[in-house]
Amino acid sequence: MTRGKTTFGAVVERAVPTMVIVGVLLAWELFVRLRGIAPIYLPPPSTIAVYLFRMLADGSIEFNLGVTLLRIFAGFAVAALCGVTLGVLMGMSRIIARIADPWIAALYPLPKIALIPLLVIWLGTGEVYKIVISAITAFFPIVISTYAGIRQTDHGLIKAAQDLGANRRQIQLKIVVPAAIPSIFAGLHLGMGVTVILVVAAEMIGSSSQSGMGFLLIQSGQVMETEKVFASLVVLAVVGALIIKLQQWIDRKVAPWTAYRDEH
Amino acid sequence: MDVVVEELTQVWPGRHGASVVALDRFSHRFASRRFTCLLGPSGCGKSTLVQIVGGLETATSGHVRIADPARPGLSRPLGADSVMVWQNLNLFPWRSVLDNVAFGLEMQGVSKSERHERARALLASVGLGGFEWHLPGQLSGGMRQRVALARALIMERPIMLMDEPFGALDAQTKIVMQEELLRVFDQTHKTIIFVTHAIEEAILLGDEVVVMTARPGRIKEVLAVDLPRPRSLEMVNSKAFGALFDRAFHLIREEVMTSMAQQTMALEAR
Repeated sequence: MTRGKTTFGAVVERAVPTMVIVGVLLAWELFVRLRGIAPIYLPPPSTIAVYLFRMLADGSIEFNLGVTLLRIFAGFAVAALCGVTLGVLMGMSRIIARIADPWIAALYPLPKIALIPLLVIWLGTGEVYKIVISAITAFFPIVISTYAGIRQTDHGLIKAAQDLGANRRQIQLKIVVPAAIPSIFAGLHLGMGVTVILVVAAEMIGSSSQSGMGFLLIQSGQVMETEKVFASLVVLAVVGALIIKLQQWIDRKVAPWTAYRDEH
Repeated sequence: MDVVVEELTQVWPGRHGASVVALDRFSHRFASRRFTCLLGPSGCGKSTLVQIVGGLETATSGHVRIADPARPGLSRPLGADSVMVWQNLNLFPWRSVLDNVAFGLEMQGVSKSERHERARALLASVGLGGFEWHLPGQLSGGMRQRVALARALIMERPIMLMDEPFGALDAQTKIVMQEELLRVFDQTHKTIIFVTHAIEEAILLGDEVVVMTARPGRIKEVLAVDLPRPRSLEMVNSKAFGALFDRAFHLIREEVMTSMAQQTMALEAR
């Protein structure tokens, strides 16, 4: 009896969210059709789907998405490399931390979009500009989380390693850095999030390359092709969700112990 | 190797300029290949003492010497001959059970195949064969305790310092681990300094029970435990055990009262 009930409950729990999504789309469709709203303001989901498939068929989604993803990963890679390196160095050397601290404190709260005019003057509107603006933005959460993780290492683990004969360098490499990995990953998650935002924004503002999802959005908007705007948004939302899933999968592969952390 | 502690004093700088005396001129000779228990109320400086002996804390004043009676001229640096088993274990959560146990050998530069082989053998001897690739977080409290024990044993150091290692275990697991430790002691005859606040545990395990006073920690009395070895849990019911228990209980009761009064006063002073 009880078991049957829980199975039923589990089915409901799985089915209801999907039903809500279908319900919202259906209401949207009916609302637009019954009220006769012009697709230029709000196209119905069915039309958006048609446009989406058309854009997939003519390759415009694939091309622009591919370009955007390349820029995201390039910017993220630069930010991750520099951020983790500096964060680890700051955690290990008090002098480096002292030097870097005022710069981070001053530059971190600055909205990075405000740097766009300056970067356009210096770098033009090519690829370098988009990678630099996204890398600068992602750099800060990564370096801050890494530094915090290195500093918060459990002192008991360091003492235990010291007792087992580890020297200073071994303690840093074998204890402090691995202990900071969950924190570093949290920074990388935040960094990836802002990279996506900044790359798409940079593609929208003064991009000379005429490519990328940001460009596709702004171009479709300017000629009032609202269906294409929605189709592009759907693609960005799905890709964003996939990137998050991918990161969670990598976390579990690289740092499986974090799943058991609370049991200690 | 004897552990000779002379006039050891540890003062912690406290808040508002008031400093706390954790240990006050503590002197004792911990005899080689003997099992000594340090028994005292919480906050009496027992943990501080073993950490100083292990070379992991620096005393405010006083000396600790590791002396070999066979070679009287020899003096060894602190920490080189001892290994610690911690109250909260301090296992490395990202390392497999095998790599936790092999950690000390890895630091010495022992090759992977050799250190894994030795760690594997040691794990098997403490009943953890088959769990080599588990993470510490996947194990039960008692199993984690065995990993910590194996990680210390692999160092093959003559002195083992144990800081309330079974304090966090449930009653049944604690009994099993005490038997395990007695077995290890009978086989290896290491010099063990074992910190505890459990009277029964101190008498069951130790050759000698050093009863400490409440803060500041001094020696109140040293009880010799002349129960035969190998020890077993049944001895708890013997007459000799009962007499020792009564004596220790009487001593510790006063100190716990003092300790509680100190804590109340500290709270009221705030």
